[in-house]
Formats: sequence, C-alpha cells, structure tokens
Amino acid sequence: MRQYLLKSILQIVPVLFLISIIVFVLVYVTGDPVSLMLSDTATDEDREILIAALGLDQPMHIQYFRFLGNMLQGDFGTSFRYDMPALPIVLERLPATFELAIAAMIVATVISIPLGILSATKRNSFLDIFVSGASVLGKAMPHFWLGIMLILLFAVEWKTLPVSGRGSWDHLILPAFTLGTGIAAEMTRLIRSSMLEILGQDYIRTARSKGLIETIVVYKHALRNSLIPVVTIMALQTSTLIGGTLITETIFSWPGMGQLIIQAVNTRDMAIVQAAVFVVAFLVIVSNILADILYRVLDPRIKYN
Amino acid sequence: MEANLLEVKHLQTHFKTEDGVVPSVNGVSFSVAKGETLAIVGESGCGKSVTSLSIMGLVAPPGEVVGGEIWLEGQNLLALSKKELRKLRGNKLSMIFQEPMTSLNPVFTIGNQLGEVFRQHRQMDKKEARAHSVEMLEHVGIPNAEKIVDSFPHQLSGGMRQRVMIAMALACNPALLIADEPTTALDVTIQAQILELLKKLNKEFQTGVILITHDLGVVAEMADRVVVMYAGEVVEQADVFSLFAEPKHPYTKGLLGSLPKLDENREELDSIPGSVPNPLDMPDGCAFHPRCPAATEECKQNKPQLQEVALNHLARCFYA
Amino acid sequence: MSLPLESQTAQAGSVGQAVKKPGQLRRLARMLLKSKTGTIGLLIVIVVVFMAVFASAIAPHDPAKTQAAQRLKPPMWMEGGSPANPLGTDNLGRDVLSRIIYGSQVSLMVGVCAVAVAGAIGVVLGLVSGYFGGIVDNLIMRTVDSFLAIPNILFMLVILTVLGPSLTTLILVLGFTNWVKYARIIRGEVLSVKERDFVRAARTVGASDGRIIFTHILPNVISSFIVVSTLSVATTIIAEASLSFLGLGIQPPTVSWGGMLSDGRQYLATSWWVATFPGVAITITVLGIMFLGDWLRDILDPRMKARAK
Repeated sequence: MRQYLLKSILQIVPVLFLISIIVFVLVYVTGDPVSLMLSDTATDEDREILIAALGLDQPMHIQYFRFLGNMLQGDFGTSFRYDMPALPIVLERLPATFELAIAAMIVATVISIPLGILSATKRNSFLDIFVSGASVLGKAMPHFWLGIMLILLFAVEWKTLPVSGRGSWDHLILPAFTLGTGIAAEMTRLIRSSMLEILGQDYIRTARSKGLIETIVVYKHALRNSLIPVVTIMALQTSTLIGGTLITETIFSWPGMGQLIIQAVNTRDMAIVQAAVFVVAFLVIVSNILADILYRVLDPRIKYN
Repeated sequence: MEANLLEVKHLQTHFKTEDGVVPSVNGVSFSVAKGETLAIVGESGCGKSVTSLSIMGLVAPPGEVVGGEIWLEGQNLLALSKKELRKLRGNKLSMIFQEPMTSLNPVFTIGNQLGEVFRQHRQMDKKEARAHSVEMLEHVGIPNAEKIVDSFPHQLSGGMRQRVMIAMALACNPALLIADEPTTALDVTIQAQILELLKKLNKEFQTGVILITHDLGVVAEMADRVVVMYAGEVVEQADVFSLFAEPKHPYTKGLLGSLPKLDENREELDSIPGSVPNPLDMPDGCAFHPRCPAATEECKQNKPQLQEVALNHLARCFYA
Repeated sequence: MSLPLESQTAQAGSVGQAVKKPGQLRRLARMLLKSKTGTIGLLIVIVVVFMAVFASAIAPHDPAKTQAAQRLKPPMWMEGGSPANPLGTDNLGRDVLSRIIYGSQVSLMVGVCAVAVAGAIGVVLGLVSGYFGGIVDNLIMRTVDSFLAIPNILFMLVILTVLGPSLTTLILVLGFTNWVKYARIIRGEVLSVKERDFVRAARTVGASDGRIIFTHILPNVISSFIVVSTLSVATTIIAEASLSFLGLGIQPPTVSWGGMLSDGRQYLATSWWVATFPGVAITITVLGIMFLGDWLRDILDPRMKARAK
C-alpha cells in the first residue's frame, strides 16, 4: 500500500511539471502584463524599469526556470488587483468551492443511485423510459441555463430561495442543484448500465438460487459491484466538477474559487489565474489518486503491486 | 411407481426473441426419487440447463415457463407464489453451477456468502451463521476452513470454489440438488474429487440429485437413471445400465459412439454428423431426422412419440 | 517492441473491413426509422441546419435591428405580445425568434469546425501514440494527463483571455482543448486493432507503417471517430454557449445563443423569455445531436452498444 502510494505520488511529478510549462507558456504569450500594471501617465523609462524588475527582458527559458523556482516555493507572484500574493487569495476561496462541490455531489448521489437502480431492475418499464429521458435531458441542458431557470422559478416567481450569495442552507440549494443535475444525469446512466451488466452475472444467479430476498440480491450483491466502475468514473470527473463551479459560482455570486478565477480572467490578473490553474490541476490529480485507492478498496481482487 | 421426490410433467419453457418464440424446453417429463441421481444428457442448446433453471424458478426474461407442472414433495412449484418459491430455493431445493470462477460474488468473503444461506433460511445471527459455515466447509473437504471462511473467492482455486458452491447448496440439507455441469470447468483430477464428493454427500444426506452434463463418462460414474434430451425434448430415458448396454434412440447411439473406450484403439471417434437444428426453424417430423443415419420417409413426415420400448425404457423413435 | 508472428498463414486484408453494398443506404434508413430517438435526432439536426443555412430567408426580422418602442415585448401568446414578434423582444427591442434563428449559425459553425480541429489533432496523436508506443506514446499520454487535470473551461478561459475573443480563436481554442478525448479513444482502438491477425499479417509481408496505418488501422477506427465526433459537436455547442455567456466567446454584434442568455439574465425579473428561449434552443439542438450520436453508436459499433446497455 505504502509503496503503491509512493509510486502514484511520483507519477504526479511529470504531470505537474508539464502543467507548469503550460501555465507558464500561457502567461508568456500574454506578453504584456506591464501595460496593465502601469498607469497611463507612466513614461517609457518607468516601463523599462518595471520590465527589468520583473525579469521580462530575460530569455524565455530563464524566465521559465525562475517561474518554476518561485512556484516550488508557493510563490505565483502578486495579484495587482488585491496587491497580495496570489496563492493565499486562491486558497482562501477553496472552502466555499468545496462546500458547493460536495453539496452538488450529494445531490447527484441522492438522485442517481435510487433512480439508476430502479431503472435497471425495472428495465423498459415506464419508469425506466422516464428516467432515461430525464438523464438525457439533464446532459443536454447547459447547466448555466438550468441555474438561470432555477433562479427564475424559485427566486423570482415563487420567492422561496435567495438569488445569490453564501451563508445559510437556503443559499446552497439552488447552486448545488444547478451543479449537481448534470452529474446526476451522467451518474444515473452509468449506474443503470453498470447495474444491468452486473445483474446478468453468474453470481447474481447464485444469490437468487440461494433464495435470498430480492432486496439483498440487488442492494447487497449487485449494487456493491455496480458501484466499482461508477465511483471510479465519477472521481475522475473532478475536473468537470471544478469546471462547473466556475459558471455556477458566477451565476449565484458564490464567493468561491470559480468566481475568483472568472474575475481574475476578466481583469487579466495573471498571477491569480496561474495560481488557480495550478491549484485546480493539483486537486484534480490528487482526486484521481484517491479514485484509484477507492477502486482498490471496493474491489478486493486488486492488489497493490 | 413409488412416490417420487420430484415429478416434472410436460414442462414447456419458451424464450420470446425478436425473431420468434424459441421453445427451449418443449413438453419434458421425468421424475427423481429420493436419494436417486438422475442425469440429463445432451449437447449444448438441447434445453437441459433451461430445464434445471425452470425447476429452480430462475428462468430469466425473455424466457418463461409457459406450461406443465413441477411437483416437489407434493407441491406444484409452478403454482407457488414468487415468495413461496424463493423460500424453497437454497433450502429444500438448491443448485450448483458450471462456472465456479464466476458464480461467487467477488467482493464478499466466502463466510459472508455461505452464511447468508443460514441467515436467510434458518434465521441465524452472524456468529451462528459463521460457525455453521465453517462446519459446512469442513464437510465438503476444505482444509483450513477457519481461514478460508474469511477469504475472498479470487484467493481460492477453481476446485475449492466449486466445493464452496457445493457447501452453499447443501447448507440447508436440500431434498433436491441440481448440479449443472459441475465439473466441466475443472481440471480432470479435480473433476474426479468433486464427483466423489457429490456421490458421498448424496449417500449421506439422501439428497435427490439432477446432474446435468454432456459428459457420458460422468454419467456412467454417477447416475442411477438417465434422460437424454435433444432439441428441447426427451428422446430417451432409461436406467444407466440399460442405456449404456442397449441404447434405443439413434441419437443416444451416436453419443455413445463418440465416447472412446479404453479397450479399443480407433483412429477416429464416431461423431454425430451435422449440428443441433435452429430452434426457430425446426425440421418437420422427427427433430433428429436430418442427422439420423437411419432416417426414413416416415421420420420426415411424422413426429414420433416417446414410448416404452422395454421395461422402464422410453425412446422417441419409430424404429426403437 | 516484438510481436509474435505465428499467424504467417493469415491472409492480409481478408478480415475486418466491412464491404459497402448497394442496398446498405436503404438498410441504414430503415434502421434509422426503427429507432424513434434516432429519427427525432435526425429531424432536429435537419431543422437546425436548415435554420442556419436559410436564416436570412426564414427569420421574420433583422436580428440586429433595434426598436426602442418595442423593448421587452412578451411572446405572442401573452398579454401585450404580438404575432410580429412570436417569441417576444429583448432589451433593445430585437426580435428573439430571429436572433435564435441566426444564433444557430454560430453554434453549428463553431461546433463542427472545433470538432474538426480537435479530431485532426487527436486522431494524429492517437494513431502515433498507439502505433509506435514507447517514448512517443509515453510523452503524448502524459500530455493527455496534464490536459485532463485542467478543466476544459478553465483552459479555454485562460487562452481566450490571452488571445482575445474572436470566432477563429474560439474555434481553435475549443479544438485545441478537446483533442484529448480523440487521442485516448483512437489510441485504445489502435492498440487492439494492431494485434489482430490481419495487421500482423500485413506486417509480416513487409507493409510499411504508413500503409498499415492507412489501409488497415484507419478504416477500423473510423466508426469510433464518427461516434465521438457527433457527440463532441453536442458538448462543443454547450462549451461555446458557456464561453459566450461569460463574455469570452462570440462578441456582439454576431448573435450567439450563449450571448443572448447572458443579456437576458439581467432582465430575468421582468422578462423571462429573453433568457429562456435561447436555452431551449441549445437544449433541443444538443439533444438532437446526442440522439443521432447514440443511434450512430448503436449501428456502427456493436461492442460499444453492448457496453452501453
């Protein structure tokens, strides 16, 4: 186990390295942070001084190595909008984003597990057709539009839930559903097809031949096996989930990392963007490793080697 | 006839496919006495496995039992509710399957899966179920049962897994055990051990056994009586000695002809030419006539009935 | 990498490639009609393509024409609405229906072109990675991993900020961030096709790498390519709408559904229709393409069907 973990952690290194290149190139190509930082009255001389101070007159690879060196110390530069180091600003926003992402996953799980199981066990029934239809619709709907429609109904028409902000449970409901619906649609489809496959396995027939009640056959013998691929695939969706928070947070003015990123992108606050891209990538990679570990926990056949 | 343990009468199980109805089991009748071992023999696709699943009430859609009666100790299984039938399964009526590698759930321990039977049918708690599981594992000749009970299926060999399956099937001391090709997937040496075990347990518990197989060697070793099936129907039925000594149906003769004998040295085994007919396009007359070396005009026109051709020996052939 | 070459007697090219028969088109049409969702999908796609091509002929109004007096008029079936603007008007008095009709142009154009770019990059890298293996494969797959670790939308936002939004950049950016899917799928297919007898046989008789790729491997991966592409058009349309919604995609005065949604959001409290209808248009279009893609998968790839059911 420890060896396996060590190996996975070592595998992160080249990926993070590549990401650092991608992030660096993105900003290098942006070219001109200087004009953004200077006021309109600045002289050419001020400009030269700033360029030299930032090291922008150096060749590209030198700039990259300095960027890498700073990055390894957690220094992504200073946000000119906040006039503070970028990384702490990004990290400060993480709890809000986690809260939203976890709530969305809970919404998705609570919807998709029972629906996926029911539509697999009652295959081709009215319910199955309805669930399949709903999950296709859930995938086809842009979630920012769903968010707007939810605001329209629950906040504007019926005035039951707040439009934006973070604080009470009420604030969490609409964003969590907005973000969770698409995931629920995907998960329901996965659980259904996984469940259908498992229900055709020999060991399910064995379980039935033992005279077990159907609830145990489905919820113990079939579900546990069906969830193995589902959990893995869903954990691999972290990247999509975080991507979804960008827009959801913007629509609902949720004070998380997503909203911060959109603001930073709009104001070209590249230090924040760099730090955020890196934090996101790191989270995604870590969650992929967690997915792998979870997979091994759920499936006793897999050994660490 | 004496009161039989199991009496199957005119069983019909059909599969409704997109291309039409497949009569996998078409009017099959046979019986099993207490403590008797009945072998059902035939090529794959002849309906022998579907027959056994029909008895268990485990035919999966699109298959459906559409006619007949199945009497087990005076109860018609086809008239029982799903719940009543479920209570019999794993209890009075149990089954072991061909594939020990895939028939156990990979994510639960042996003890968990074996204990389930006791918990379901004997209302035992976890601790009792575990104790009984260990006992059962020892019974089927698993060494180190205390340890095996906590292992996962993938940690055991095929033979061991089949022993676990047998332990599971015999856990509640069933009146009838159906063994569907129990040794086909195993090595030859393991095969012999498993057959020996089944024989021993059959004597010990006086369990009626239906042994489904395509292996006539296994039949000779194990069975008291034999039912030969072809294309969803019984074509011959006799006690094992008469069947091997005087097979009446050309199909049975063909099957026996393809069995090598130790005391002869033949270049080629007689195999039956042709293959099992397409169930959606059954030949007229006798289902076997296209492959039968002795087929006549009559065989092409009319369908022979199963008739007694000698004492307690039935065959479905005009010329038997 | 060494390959077992026991299949020297296998005939090259005798297996694996479906032969086109004259009746095949009719057979496909019959299969399409048999699948209800496939038929619906195709109809939706035809309607949207028709809308995009003949926008100027069917749109009742100029999509850019503002009418101060006609601001935020509701759809025709509501009080205050008029048949002149069947789906109402937006905050500048522009006709919502006409804008939706014109918006289909951008959605389809971006969807199809971006998928073409992504497909081109992904197929080439996937083929190279799967076929040659080794260091090349490793390098490409690690790059894929890195791309997968950054959410697409974030990636696109950053590039668009750097390059500035325009139609061409948008297509390139969407293409550049979505090739990963192709690379992985094509690589997987190549790995499995590569070991089949007819490819081994071709190699044994000394066919060049290029020839093997083009005559043996490419035809075998084409069906996965078509299926993935169709479904990608759907997701790309959503991505384009998201970017336009965030103001980083299509810029006014070009009409896009995402941009319309973004405009409409400000007037949600009073005029629900401005934000609602573009979303309906996106959803229906994406649904149609997804139905069509699912149907294509069912007929082109029986293995994928078995997995999906």
